[in-house]
Amino acid sequence: MSELLAVTGMTKRYGSVTVLRDVAFDLKAGEIHALLGANGAGKSTLCKMVAGLTDVSGGQMQLGGEPYAPADKPSAETAGVQIVQQELNLIPTLNVAENLLLTRLPSRFGIVQHGDLHRRARAALDRLGLSDIQTHTQVGRLGVGRQQMVEIATALDRQCRVLILDEPTAALSGSETERLFEQLFRLREQGVGMIYISHRLDEVKRIADRTTVLRDGKWVCTQPTREISTDDMVDLMSGGGTGMATKTASARCLGPADAPVLSVDSLTCGIVQDVSFAVRAGETFGITGLVGSGRTELLRAIFGADPADSGSVTVGNRDATRFSHPADAVVGGLAMVTEDRKQNGLLLDQSIRSNTAINSLAPFFSRCGVVLQQRERTAAQSMCEQMDTRCTGIEQIVGTLSGGNQQKVVVAKWLTRGADVFLFDEPTRGIDVAARRRIYEMIDALASQGKGIVIVSSDLEELFETCDRIAVLSAGRLVRTFDRSGWSEDAILQASFEAHRSDAART
Amino acid sequence: MRSAWFSIALLVLFVGCSSKSSTAPTGGDQDASPARPKVALIMKSLANEFFSTMADGAKTHQSEHADQYDLVVNGIKDERDLSRQVALVDEMVAAGVSAIVIAPADSKALVPALRKAKEKGVVVVNIDNRLDRDVMESESVQIPFVGPDNRAGAQKVGDFLATRLQKGDKVAVLEGIRTSFNAQQRHAGFLAAMKQAGVEVVSSQSAQWEMSQANTIAASMLSEHPEIKAILAANDSMALGAIAAVKSAGRADDVLIVGFDNISAVQSAIRDGKVLATADQYGGKLAVFGIETALQLVNDQSAAADDVETPVDLVTAETL
Amino acid sequence: MKHQLTQSVLQYAGLLGVLLLLIAVFSLSSENFFQMQTLVTIANSNPDLIFVSVGMTMVLIVGGIDLSVGSVLALGSAVLGVLMVHYEWGLLAALPVCLLATGLCGLFNGMVSVWFSIPSFIVTLGMLEMARGGSKVLTDSQSLYIGRSIEGFGEPLQSISLSPAFLVAVGSVIVGQFLLTKTVFGRYLVAIGTNAEAVRMSGIRTAPITVAAFVISGVLVGMAALAQTSRLSTADPNAAIGLELAAIAACVIGGTSLMGGRGSVIASFIGVLIIAVLQSGLAQLGVEDATKQLITGAVIILAVLLDALRSRFGKSDA
Repeated sequence: MSELLAVTGMTKRYGSVTVLRDVAFDLKAGEIHALLGANGAGKSTLCKMVAGLTDVSGGQMQLGGEPYAPADKPSAETAGVQIVQQELNLIPTLNVAENLLLTRLPSRFGIVQHGDLHRRARAALDRLGLSDIQTHTQVGRLGVGRQQMVEIATALDRQCRVLILDEPTAALSGSETERLFEQLFRLREQGVGMIYISHRLDEVKRIADRTTVLRDGKWVCTQPTREISTDDMVDLMSGGGTGMATKTASARCLGPADAPVLSVDSLTCGIVQDVSFAVRAGETFGITGLVGSGRTELLRAIFGADPADSGSVTVGNRDATRFSHPADAVVGGLAMVTEDRKQNGLLLDQSIRSNTAINSLAPFFSRCGVVLQQRERTAAQSMCEQMDTRCTGIEQIVGTLSGGNQQKVVVAKWLTRGADVFLFDEPTRGIDVAARRRIYEMIDALASQGKGIVIVSSDLEELFETCDRIAVLSAGRLVRTFDRSGWSEDAILQASFEAHRSDAART
Repeated sequence: MRSAWFSIALLVLFVGCSSKSSTAPTGGDQDASPARPKVALIMKSLANEFFSTMADGAKTHQSEHADQYDLVVNGIKDERDLSRQVALVDEMVAAGVSAIVIAPADSKALVPALRKAKEKGVVVVNIDNRLDRDVMESESVQIPFVGPDNRAGAQKVGDFLATRLQKGDKVAVLEGIRTSFNAQQRHAGFLAAMKQAGVEVVSSQSAQWEMSQANTIAASMLSEHPEIKAILAANDSMALGAIAAVKSAGRADDVLIVGFDNISAVQSAIRDGKVLATADQYGGKLAVFGIETALQLVNDQSAAADDVETPVDLVTAETL
Repeated sequence: MKHQLTQSVLQYAGLLGVLLLLIAVFSLSSENFFQMQTLVTIANSNPDLIFVSVGMTMVLIVGGIDLSVGSVLALGSAVLGVLMVHYEWGLLAALPVCLLATGLCGLFNGMVSVWFSIPSFIVTLGMLEMARGGSKVLTDSQSLYIGRSIEGFGEPLQSISLSPAFLVAVGSVIVGQFLLTKTVFGRYLVAIGTNAEAVRMSGIRTAPITVAAFVISGVLVGMAALAQTSRLSTADPNAAIGLELAAIAACVIGGTSLMGGRGSVIASFIGVLIIAVLQSGLAQLGVEDATKQLITGAVIILAVLLDALRSRFGKSDA
């Protein structure tokens, strides 16, 4: 195999801060090369430079033996470099076909050729096995997982020599992931070089030919993947010694089963059908299911973000109710860490202080409506320390933090406000190992204080590590609940497909 | 805290710079000013051709008499921007002018500001739009009006139109901004002429002096009252709007249009037979008349501040 | 503390620089500009724009826009005029009714845009027409001369040459800035303007806060109506056409974001002063109308540009 892409001395500075220092990296044709590192290690920065999304502060790039220095994304694409970014870059108001072919809409005299457009889009989707996505559907109406697949289809549809995938599977279900991998293998046979970024180490282990690890903006090592274990990977990323040991269940002191801190009775809301469960004080309750099984919808219904149609929610010894607005839920003792922190968890343009204090201002940090700024600052400061948030200070703008630290701020906001029951929706999606560890510790600490915890996650490892029980949703219904002794990946997967299979049996 | 500091700082800034300069008069210009009075001409919108012609006339006059006075011309961006015009009066007084010649945007609202100007010793002359008598009385101030009799002018136009109409014919009127004195006067003149001729006014609406509004309103008048034989517009801009409406209604041949002001566009329209008549109040010279009166009053404090009537003449295809 | 003070000076340095530069330019080019009377006249002529800009800043920060301010001002003015002329009420009796009327317009703007999720651009555009029509109906399209009974508020006080209207307007700036930076309400405004959904998901009811911003804008427009009516001694149904654009320009010059989430009442106030000084200075020079418009537009862009450069510079510094 020949070297398709070779970069040396890659350096990136923002002002006086160097985020990437003298990194060398090469990609062969027909290779999947995994790029690993904790958030802030410089993986995304390196990829952005290769894809022409940000300028290079220092270093050279060669593509196919020729000097390569893309001025912007289009020129990188012309050279055959495609990137699928972690954030969705689709235009929600356009339909699937238009998004797929946005930069090269088939047109004659400036008029879009619709037949051609949809034919080509259809073919691109079918290649990924996405036959159930209609090309006329507005992208905004698709779920996040689906949108991710469309985004990937967009990149795969273009002629490319180098394909960069930044956390492509974060929002995908198992079967979608499988289909994606099939495509990647096909491209590999065609000689396309792929840079693959993921926090899912088992995936990396499975598909990557070689693995490069970055730490703190510096190159650590490049090795054939089969020669390193996932434990080694974590060691290399974190700087050795602190590999993620799977925590065995610490014997927690659970509250009485007949007086749960949260009980949900026959809750129905849109896709969510008649869901009931109860969480005891000190218990961590996991919820999982396939993409589209109604996990997020269930949490939103409990929290009053989308008022439920029927059923009830009881927190502690308060009256059973159905929250119609998050404000009621917060007063009623609930907290919710949302899935999409940028969309509805954070004020990205505001400081860490503002974000941490926003919903505690009225109850704790004000007198007669006037903010007590000293108290607010002290609280934000101590939260930063407690969460180990990496920042220049509490006035740093949240949008400039790494994903893991942003998530810590979201959690800090709810810790400051306080609640009896904490709902977490994908609490560690797309964040690095160290931040993830910190958040698990916080969840653990909350549980041992006697709070009730509900975690929705598509990452089973995460649930196995943190939860006392795991419930499985399938097509909006809660089909099974496992406890520690009864769960296994296989059993949960079986349960996840239950509704679909019984549908199949009926027809 | 921060906000308080800033407001204080700004106030200090204001007071500070003002006290410095008021004690130290500045150089030669100041000494020359008593010899050559400075006249401020405050107009309505200079985007309106009528007023810009008037302002140009004043500038030409000043350049011919540069040894006698200095001139500052200001307009407002919109005919109805009263507040800005009042501020202009205050600012001109602050700038130390000897006389203000003003075409008021409103016949009432300008009176108090002008009274204050007079109290500071500034000569004030009213042109174009006559200030309200009752308000002047209650503010106990007298300001001479130099200008044409709009009512008589409108009546001349109306009378001429009546010669082309039959008794019992129906017509529509496009009024100016109803709060303006001129609009009221022209409207009254039109009505008087029509009444005399026994012609019925079936619709009378304000088009705010504007062409596009006049177009819309005239169009709806034509569809609501297809029988109308003529449209009387209180100014030429609105007459132009009416022409467009008549044309798009396909009635160009049987609906007569008259205007007021004699702007150049309407002169060509009269030659083409699209407009029957307009009135010329010698707009180009109106400001000059006002300035001359003001200079007289500046030079001779004892002169009587009486109204001066300027001519208004009928303009038709024959007179052009 | 010292650091904070330097920071706040820096925050407004660009704007104050533009303002002082304008004053300097006009002082050099016009003999009578740099004078107590000119500056006082500028201050006394603009309390209406100050009031409106304070309210507009709040509405812009929460992510809305209020296009109806000029018309609502005319409506408030009409209410004052009709009550004081036709019904011979005193000012103290008529003012609360005026504030109520303009406040209700704000309430309507806020409620309709929040409850029905209609962009406030559209709702206030409708209100712009409705309030203008209302003011014409009330006054029968005639300007009403009120006279001495209302002039006191707009007339300069003997002792300091500034009018009560200007002093109250400056007071509204101070209170507005306090409200924005020091209170829970102000924090919520900024937060909602930044990301309303995140605020809602934090368990805060955003609707009443947003509506309150519009109501505050409405009431301040009522104060502006009083200031203007008092200065003109006349209630004018055609008053303040285009005032919304002047107010938005002042806010934008002051660095308020039209996307919401960022803004300062003090900065908007300086924005008003910049516009006012420019207008008055150009008038004293007797500059051609067309030139005036060219210069005014250029200064607005320049001020915004300076602010953008300053914040970019400030960021790379940090």
